[in-house]
Amino acid sequence: MKCVRCLHDTAAKFAEAPDGSGAWEMYVCSRCNFTWRNTEEDEVINPEKRDPYFQLKGNIEDLQVLVPVPPLKKS
Amino acid sequence: MYRDLRSFLTKLEEEGQLVHITDEILPEPTIREIGRAACDLPNGPAVMIENIKGHPGKRVVLNVHGSWANHALMLGMDKTATVKEQFFNLLEKWDRYPGEVKYVGKPACQEVVIKDNINIDEMLPMFRINAYDAGCFFSKASVVTKDLFDPDSLETENVGTYRLQVQGKDIIGIQALPFHDIARHVTKAEEMNKPLPIAICLGVDPALTFMASTPINYDQSEYKYAAAINGIPCEIAKALTSNLDIPANAEYVIEGEIIPRQRFAEGPFGEFPGSYSGTRLQTRIKVKCITHRKDPIFENLFMGRPWTEIDYLLALNTCVPLYKQLKETMPEIVAVNAMYQHGLTAIVSTANRFGGYAKSVAFRLASTPHGISYCKNIILVGPDVDPFNLEQVMWSLSARVRPDKDVIVIPYTPGMPLDPTSEPPGMGGKFIIDATNPAPPDLILRETRLIDNPNSKGFEKIISDLQKKASVK
Repeated sequence: MKCVRCLHDTAAKFAEAPDGSGAWEMYVCSRCNFTWRNTEEDEVINPEKRDPYFQLKGNIEDLQVLVPVPPLKKS
Repeated sequence: MYRDLRSFLTKLEEEGQLVHITDEILPEPTIREIGRAACDLPNGPAVMIENIKGHPGKRVVLNVHGSWANHALMLGMDKTATVKEQFFNLLEKWDRYPGEVKYVGKPACQEVVIKDNINIDEMLPMFRINAYDAGCFFSKASVVTKDLFDPDSLETENVGTYRLQVQGKDIIGIQALPFHDIARHVTKAEEMNKPLPIAICLGVDPALTFMASTPINYDQSEYKYAAAINGIPCEIAKALTSNLDIPANAEYVIEGEIIPRQRFAEGPFGEFPGSYSGTRLQTRIKVKCITHRKDPIFENLFMGRPWTEIDYLLALNTCVPLYKQLKETMPEIVAVNAMYQHGLTAIVSTANRFGGYAKSVAFRLASTPHGISYCKNIILVGPDVDPFNLEQVMWSLSARVRPDKDVIVIPYTPGMPLDPTSEPPGMGGKFIIDATNPAPPDLILRETRLIDNPNSKGFEKIISDLQKKASVK
């Protein structure tokens, strides 16, 4: 399934309305970690209508690391 | 005062500061619309949302701290208390530190225990706070971690509020910035390649929530401060999967571990400066267990373009520690108003011990643990000016600032990465305006005389009473 943000085919369903009503389902992208509910507004969950500013382009590993992994200490 | 969130909600209800929405709603976009509306209203109430589609019986409460009336009630004051009155009331309570903690054997927060088939979005009525957030976030959690090498200390145990993005059934991303106390714990664990136990506590007593977002010193206990503010012992208990101490009466506790030495995409998130953060590589939590009270209430916080609930929550708890830290060595300090975006803009009222002294106060503020990264715009006003009264502050700028002598810019200092002007994120600057009256040997301002205020208190009451009568007619 295609992620609505990074557009990679790396999304899958991970939750649904717990009362069994089928009121909504939720999806997660295993690549960029975007999640969404199928009942949200079009400008949030439709890639054609989302603000391009908030789409995720480029490689995940190129994103800024705010807290770098420290060097390992020998115990 | 308040043992838990529920007792505070009862108080809010008695005071007309809690309302219930019982119509059925979808989580998005309705919950964010309710959150925005509640804090836009004058003295806006807390709002309990009780009928969320797909989550029968689950409740969300918003805006618990989201007005000066609610804030005053948290402090045990009359709901009409002014901001300045609340500041000085909090100062008094601050001096009661350390309050007492009390361990509880069978805590309410563990009435229900779930260790299998965890799925956060099915167990809690999560919602996307702002439209372009990367997912559903916990925005008001009290997050507990310990120093792995100091496991018995309540003082270095940290209770802090950090944003948490649900990224799967039992996966949560966390933003722990280098200057946050939790980052010390994460770094030590990562240096040893060890997972760091963590407890995400939701819906705790209002003073603990308040303290979790307060920049106190690393070796001071949030639990003992919450007890000092509440005036009763803070009830804590042991977590089920670690040695962590957790608030005994929390509505929910999510226990897990921070995965060491790995980073994952997180964000954006609509942050407290009123803008979205970027998408960054951040640390991640694997959830092991969720416990909750019977019939739990999910407390979360709407955060939008200021002012929203977070601006009330981060107001006086930013002012007081900064005041205390300055006052230790600078007794001339009268009051500190650092209510604007967690202290990105701060106003300090101080006397000048000698010429140029107020500028030294600014340097001191800029070198406090919180001020290093946060306090960007620093305004100094005289002891005769109430820093919480912006009309008086603007008068000081108008009448006391010499542009050639009293305005200083210090470039390229540490900055707050979420400040949209911080470029690259984490770098910033200091902008200091000295609007105090100069003291010798600085040149005295041109000889002028201030207009003395007449004694008007008696007529304030008379006119106010007349106005009330007029509005009844």
